[in-house]
Amino acid sequence: MSTLMALLYGFLWRLLLVLVYVNRALVSLLRVWFRSWKDRLSERVTTALLLPVALTGFPDHRKKLNHNPNANASPVSGNYAAGSRSRWLSDGRSLEKLPVHIGLLVAEEEPSYTDIANLVVWCMAVGISYVSVYDNHGIFRKNNSHLLEEIVQQQQDLLGVDGSKYSVEFLSNASDMHQHHVVSCRPTVKVLSPEDGKQSIVQAAQQLCRSVENKQRRSKDISVSMLDILLRESKNIPDPELVLKFGPVDSTLGFLPWHIRLTEFISLPSHRNVSYKALLGALQQYSTCQQRLGQ
Amino acid sequence: MKQAVAEDSRCFSDRAILRLNMSWIREGELNLLERLSANVLKAGPMPKHVAFIMDGNRRFARKKNMERQEGHMQGFDKLAETLRWCKHLNIPEVTVYAFSIENFKRTKDEVDGLMDLARQKFVRLLDERENLEKHGVCIRVLGDLNMLPLDLQQLIAKAVITTKTHNKCFLNVCFSYTSRYEITNAVREMAWGVEQGLIKASDVSEALLSECLYSNNSPNPDLLIRTSGEVRLSDFLLWQTSHSCLVFQSVLWPEYSFWNLCEAILQYQLNHKSIQKARDLHREHQALLQLEADRACVAEHLQHHGNGKPADAQRRQEALLHYTACREERVLDFLEALKHKRDSFFNDLCSEGVLALED
Repeated sequence: MSTLMALLYGFLWRLLLVLVYVNRALVSLLRVWFRSWKDRLSERVTTALLLPVALTGFPDHRKKLNHNPNANASPVSGNYAAGSRSRWLSDGRSLEKLPVHIGLLVAEEEPSYTDIANLVVWCMAVGISYVSVYDNHGIFRKNNSHLLEEIVQQQQDLLGVDGSKYSVEFLSNASDMHQHHVVSCRPTVKVLSPEDGKQSIVQAAQQLCRSVENKQRRSKDISVSMLDILLRESKNIPDPELVLKFGPVDSTLGFLPWHIRLTEFISLPSHRNVSYKALLGALQQYSTCQQRLGQ
Repeated sequence: MKQAVAEDSRCFSDRAILRLNMSWIREGELNLLERLSANVLKAGPMPKHVAFIMDGNRRFARKKNMERQEGHMQGFDKLAETLRWCKHLNIPEVTVYAFSIENFKRTKDEVDGLMDLARQKFVRLLDERENLEKHGVCIRVLGDLNMLPLDLQQLIAKAVITTKTHNKCFLNVCFSYTSRYEITNAVREMAWGVEQGLIKASDVSEALLSECLYSNNSPNPDLLIRTSGEVRLSDFLLWQTSHSCLVFQSVLWPEYSFWNLCEAILQYQLNHKSIQKARDLHREHQALLQLEADRACVAEHLQHHGNGKPADAQRRQEALLHYTACREERVLDFLEALKHKRDSFFNDLCSEGVLALED
């Protein structure tokens, strides 16, 4: 009797899971359908209404283009890039607050370099200074150069070639300890792997214990701020205020445990074919939330 | 402060008095529909350890036009009820975020009110010791007790020691706690071990750090639930939840229902396979790192003591085994000493408390 009941419950449980999956699929399908319908509608509306505005906006872009040596070479694409660049920048400015440091957490099998590169470039274009990219298999770290090439490529495609202003500093290796002086206006990309998480805390702990071993320090003197300074690796990068998590797994999967104390987590279904709109939506969601800091 | 509570009880006389007596243990069965759903859920993988950030008490009080303190009390009642649900769902361990070190920044009135609530609840807990024994409830308090008023420290120590041997279900109350502080404290304990000559700095590892956390007696939480729609961890179990399922729910904590809990568990079940995979990957990686660290230590040792002769593979392997065994022994001795240190902290507090009572 009881085994029969167990079988029945097991069956019901499976049925429940199937229902949840079907429900999810339907919801995402509807969302996609609704979005494309809305896009088509808004496109028509904007072309009809906002054309004069777009035209008056142009001289401003031209001024910027004059500084761009490559603009003359391909005026059309330069125009396009500058136009979207200023749109992204003004999108960033229109938000009440923008994270200084954003984390992109990929919780999916088989990462797509192009999509992540797109996201990184968009983040920089709206005015975010630090972008960290993470996956728990360390794939991005392993193929660091591939990702960085892709980012440079996307940067050229999306922003136009404007070398000096948008050059990116890549901080890629935790173990490479030479000093990096980060210039504040330069966007910085960092590729992270699980080793930057708990393992870096362990390394900091070892360092402190070694100094105790050598009688340079007493155990009682070890404080939160001491550990915090060590974990910043002398590159004064702030903790990420926002982590965008891509994929169906609801977990941080080892993403920088020390640094995510106050981080807001926003989930997006996938980083594949992710659109600028989806990113902007998440940033808008972030800009409306408040933190009380224990109060 | 006393005045604030007095005001509370005047406003909500009967309810508040009733509430003051609300116990840690809720008796009672689930209704038929709840039982059926519980059985269906239990056919899948269940979390063994659930952590809660019980957020939204003050917003709830504001919404219902209550005193803030009343919101906190209802929050506590919801905890007792949630524990009952967890028991029926065969979840043996629960960890809750009761009071953060950051919360000391709140107004004196509110902090005092919360300390008072804690006092009442721990007194109540001691009154209920027989019932707790019957249900086998072990209560642990995680955090830096030194920051609390001495009488509360003594009460907590007494409650912890009284329920220490119970082993059916476990409730960890994070009080005067933040995760960064906990991690730092673990580092401090390891440094203490180095000072005492019990371990070497090179013995510090991820596994050892985990053993030095306040939560060393518990497995990592499988599921972390935060209520009231906030989507951050607020310095709670950052280390322990690195491979946990995180569920953010918009309901305010005092309004939390059995169905909200079921929904969170269902979400855990949907995530179970991929998180398990990530955990296994992490564990493998950790073992590899430990092996590498041991090898590096052995290599260094051989270089110093090998008189410049190159060591052959067999000798190196033997040295590695020997070194690993020694390291494990050192670590065990250190953990024993640490446990003793922590136990005597509680025992001393407890006996001080008894003396104070006798005075």
